[in-house]
Order: sequence, then C-alpha cells, then structure tokens
Amino acid sequence: MSRAFLLSVSTGDPRLNDPLWARSVLSAAEQAGIDLFVMGRPDARPFDAQVILGWAAAATSRIGIVAAVPAATSHPFHVARALSAVDFLSDGRSGWLPLSGDSPDGMAEDMVAAVRGLWDGWDPDTLIIDKASGRYLDASRVRSTNHEGPFFKVAGPVNAMRPPQGHILLVIDGADPVGAADADIALVSEGQVLPARRRLLKTSVDSDPGATAERFFRGEIDGAHFELNDAMADIALIAERFGPLVDAREGKTLRQRLGLALEEFA
Amino acid sequence: MMTDQSAPQIHLWAFLQGIGHYPSGWRHPQATPAEVFTMDYYRRVGRLAERGRFDAIVFGDQLHSRGAGGRTSERLAMPTLDPVTLLVAMAAVTEHVGLVATISTTYNSPQMLAERLATMDRITGGRAGWNIVTSAYATTAGNFGEEQMPEKSARYANAVSTVAEATRLWQQAEVPIPQGRPVFIQAGQSGDGRDFAARTAEAIFCPAATIDDGIAFRTDLRQRIAAVGRNPDAVRIMPGLSFILAPTEEEALAKDAALLELADLDLCIEYLAESLTVDLSGQDPSAPIPLEHILENTLAPREDIAKVLAGPASKGISLGDFATAYVRTPRGHNVFRGSPEQMADMMIRWVDAGACDGFTMQPAWMPGELELFVDQVVPILQEKGRLRRNYPGKTLRDTLGLGPLEADLAA
Ligand SMILES: Cc1cc2nc3c(=O)[nH]c(=O)nc-3n(C[C@H](O)[C@H](O)[C@H](O)COP(=O)(O)O)c2cc1C
Repeated sequence: MSRAFLLSVSTGDPRLNDPLWARSVLSAAEQAGIDLFVMGRPDARPFDAQVILGWAAAATSRIGIVAAVPAATSHPFHVARALSAVDFLSDGRSGWLPLSGDSPDGMAEDMVAAVRGLWDGWDPDTLIIDKASGRYLDASRVRSTNHEGPFFKVAGPVNAMRPPQGHILLVIDGADPVGAADADIALVSEGQVLPARRRLLKTSVDSDPGATAERFFRGEIDGAHFELNDAMADIALIAERFGPLVDAREGKTLRQRLGLALEEFA
Repeated sequence: MMTDQSAPQIHLWAFLQGIGHYPSGWRHPQATPAEVFTMDYYRRVGRLAERGRFDAIVFGDQLHSRGAGGRTSERLAMPTLDPVTLLVAMAAVTEHVGLVATISTTYNSPQMLAERLATMDRITGGRAGWNIVTSAYATTAGNFGEEQMPEKSARYANAVSTVAEATRLWQQAEVPIPQGRPVFIQAGQSGDGRDFAARTAEAIFCPAATIDDGIAFRTDLRQRIAAVGRNPDAVRIMPGLSFILAPTEEEALAKDAALLELADLDLCIEYLAESLTVDLSGQDPSAPIPLEHILENTLAPREDIAKVLAGPASKGISLGDFATAYVRTPRGHNVFRGSPEQMADMMIRWVDAGACDGFTMQPAWMPGELELFVDQVVPILQEKGRLRRNYPGKTLRDTLGLGPLEADLAA
C-alpha cells in the first residue's frame, strides 16, 4: 500500500459541547475527507473530550475521532475503559492525544504506559459467547495488569475489553509533547522533530498545497494538521485546497486505513 | 376502557446494560449477546426506550476487575463498556430519553466528575442524570493504587463533600449547563445511604421484591426526605423490575422456567458467590449454607451479607437451593412473570399503593423482552391514562416532572 497523505484538524472550541454545532462541524469534516478530528487542545479544555468522543462515535461514520486526555485530571483505569468503549462503538475509529499540561514531569508518560497495559490485559478474541456450552469468555486470556509506575499503580485487568484496534491510535502534539517513543502520529511545527510513525505538519489553511505535496513526496512529512479557528469556513478551505492530495482509504479500522496496523510494532 | 387522567403517571426507566438481568439470559435463543459491543445495538435499544416513553436509560457501573485469577466464572465475567460512553452515544441517536450514568464518588475527584458530567449534560442537550454511588466491591481499591477501600461511612462522608464541591464547580462554570447540573440519583440501602439519598437525591433506584418491601422503603425515604426539609413529592422512587412476558401467565411461567434451566447449579452458585464476593467453589451444594465460611471470607461488609443470609441459613436451606432461588429473584429485585394485562395491573397496583413512583425495568434477556414490554404493556398503560403519550419537554428534569432546581441541595 502506498503511503497516504493524512489530513487532520483540531479544535478546542467550547461549542463542541453543543450537539447542533458539533454535528454540523463533524459532518462537514467527514464530507471533506479529513482523516482525524482532534477534540481538545493543550491550551483549552472547556469540555471532557472523552465524553464528546462517545457521542461523536455515534454521530459520524468514517472520520477518525481523537480525544485530548489530560494526565493531571485523568486516571488510567477510567481512560482505558472510556476509550475502549469509544473504539467499539466507532468500529475502530478512535485515537487519543495525551496532554501533560501542568502535571508533574513523567505523569503523562506513566498514564500512557498504564492505559496500554490495561488494554493488553485482554487478548484479542477473548470472547467466546457460545450459547450452547454457556461459555461467555476464555478467562485464561485475561490477565492482571499490575502496573506500578511513578504516578499510577493499577492492578487491573480493566473491566472493559481490548479495543478493536488493539491500542487506539496514539497522537502526540508538538505543543505539549508527551515522551512516547512509539506514538503513531505526531503533530509537529516547522522544524520540530518528534519520534512517531507519521508526522503531520501544523500549517495554515492559507499555506501552499503544492509545497506541502512536495514535502510529502520527499518523505519529510506525512500530511498536514490544521487548528480550526472559524471551523466551518476552515474545513471548506481545507477540502478545496488540500483534499485533492488525499487518496481513497481502504480497511476496516482507522489504523488499517492509515496504514498504521498495530502488528507492525511486534 | 376507563381512563383517569388525574391518576398518577407511572415513571419508567430502562436498565439496559449488558445482556439482560438473568445470568442465563444471554443464552435465550433470540438473545443477541455479541451485539452489546456494537453501536447498532445501542441505536436500537435507545430508540426502543424512547418509543416506550421511558424517562431515562440507566446504567450501573462497577470499577473492580472481573475474570482475573480464575475466581470469576467464565460464564459471568461479562466485560462492561464504560457507561458514560454508551449513554452519550445513545444521546446522538435519540431526542428525549434521559441518560443516567452511575459514577462513583470514591474513585473520581470532584474536578473529574464535574467536567465529565457537565460535558455529558451539554452534549445530550440537558438529558444527563448522575447515579451517585460510593462503590461496593472491595477489590476496586487495587485498580486505583490503594490497599483498601475506605469504610462505608467514610465513603458516604466523602460523597457528601464531593457532590458539594462538584456543585460549586458547576455553579462557576463558564459554559452554561442546560440543566444547571445533572439530575441527582442515588442507589444505596444502608442508613447512611438513605440519609444521603434524603438530602441529595431527586430519584432513587432500589430493590423491592414485594409490594410491602416497596411501601416500607418508600415510606421510610419520604419520612427522611421530609425530616431534612425537602418535599417528598419531588423525589421519584424507582425500584427494579425484572420481567418475563407471554400471552398467558402459564406460558410466561414456562418461558421463565426454560430460561432458568439454562442456569445450571454451578452457575447459580457462581452467581451467588459473585454477589456475596466470596469463593464458594469446593462447597457442597447439598449441605447447609456455609454461613461461617462466607462471613469470614467475604470482601463485602459482613453485616450486609448476614442480613441476606441469616434467615435462610437458620431455616437449614441448602446452599444449592438457596443459590437457585437467588437467581430467580435477581439481587433482591421484583420479578414479574405473566401476561401484558397482568403486568400493567401489577404496576398500577404498586404505584397506587404507594410502593413506588415507577419502575426501573430490567428485562430478563435482551433485546426481545424489552420489545415485548414496549409493544404490549406500554399501550395498555397509555390507554389507562397512566403513561404519557408524549414527552413534556427536552430535559430529564422536565421528563421526571421535578420542577425547578432545589438550590440548596448538597450545599
Ligand atoms: C439497587 C442498587 C444498585 C446499585 N448499583 C451500584 C452500581 O452500579 N455501582 C456501584 O458502585 N454501586 C452500586 N450500588 C451501591 C451503592 O451505591 C452503595 O454505594 C453501596 O451499596 C454501599 O452502600 P449501601 O449499603 O448504602 O447500599 C447500588 C446499590 C443498590 C441498592
């Protein structure tokens, strides 16, 4: 599969709390062929993005939905459960963007490790659900997590499930970079280097799509990220100017569609 | 048919989480257990509840781990997806039905709760309710880095201050919250729990196996509510109601028996063991209830467990018989088996006797039993003028008919 040009947007607009506004913006972004919609920003948290994500899972059908998750006010047990549910309800279209914000050094990294550990407490195909034998699941495929990090101690396993994507997509933001060596996607500003499997350049809707395309073909970037200011107008412009760079996507989950299948890590 | 428009309206909640309320319910030939992990299922049951004019969909929640270490049966260790996520997803595909999330004050900070619930109320357009619980399973502590769960009275004291702090945060919120704050709901049985409910709750979820249990509970709660200076009519008491419907009572009993047949003796004992939080494997089902063993090993408060077991144990009932009977009255809730007409009559009788203001419907298996209720019992209640045909407003507060926000609650 050829490398896909990725289009991503984010907003911390408090109107994302409003179902009418959220529905119109998400559906416009989906129509525009945008791959990722990041809800919440390092500098703006007027809502709990994990809650919006549950709603967005039902209100959208193709777009990748990503929640900003602040380490300072989250707990891995709750985060692992909430995001697992979103991934189920969205058929594997979800992602998260951990934020360190003003939490102590290392806390966000600890949260990422703990959440991934909780997801790994469940093997794929744990469920049996066989009415005839009465076996619902294979308990030998569920393990305690026993995460003991500098900030979080979590016995586990989480009473949810391994998400359809295995681990939901991990996105890091160069404005508040969380030190994950194996992030899936990094949102980087000009000249910034962050370890990740794909790098999206934060740029503006007024930037030159031709120049962006050239940098993509040279392998410097894997796509573009836009912070929405006037959301509806910006989305329309992104569609018009950058949409032609995007090819059709294939695959069931977001990971598969973006060519970021989890197995590649093993 | 006689309709009495002045008769009290019956409130309905739908407890739709998981695979139904019988531990064997998912094995019903028409049950769709794998679907509880899909959006299609929540779209279907959310719209169904709304078609039945339910006030709200309510989900419980537990934060302990199941299925680890082999203690929990492979047939009971149902994973449960995060209730807030499921509820807000249903909000996106419904318009009126309220959405009540159970969230523990013991393992969430006031800030986390306030932001999560404010977001929930906004994105649902004012349909959020908070079932304020303090967590009951001791093994929850380990998931939050603690050795031990605090004692019950300490948990309730913390609940009071957590609700007060969250309320303060909502009052200061910059973005308006449609209902001002979520509707407060409580489920808890002890004296501490009832006092907390009397001061805080606008609706209460409880078990009541018989009409007399219901009358006793509702009378007690109304007295406690009046004693703290609140209006008891502004609080809805909503006991659980499991049900099996068929055209005749005889057929319903046969249907019930067939479903319970799918729960063999081992499963019944495992179900009981999980409720009592004690390992009962290796216990002889034909021997008397091992009361000493249970009280010594349970992770739950001993006095709670003693309350459930003392009577049956003193009568010399065997463990197997007790476990089998326990499965037949799931966790102390009322179970109805009969025809739609009988069910409507029973519900009206309970409400008119002052046993409750409505019911938290707990289908024995899903989704078929809920469909039967909505298609066959709801129209009868509507004909009799006991269930609205339309929603009165947009918010859960409107739907519950609660009137204006009581400003001093939880202050
Ligand atoms: C009908 C009923 C349902 C309950 N559901 C939950 C629940 O879903 N999650 C939870 O953590 N606690 C639940 N509880 C527990 C209570 O909220 C309470 O915190 C706990 O039982 C201890 O208090 P109590 O002895 O007053 O009941 C429930 C209690 C009752 C009576």
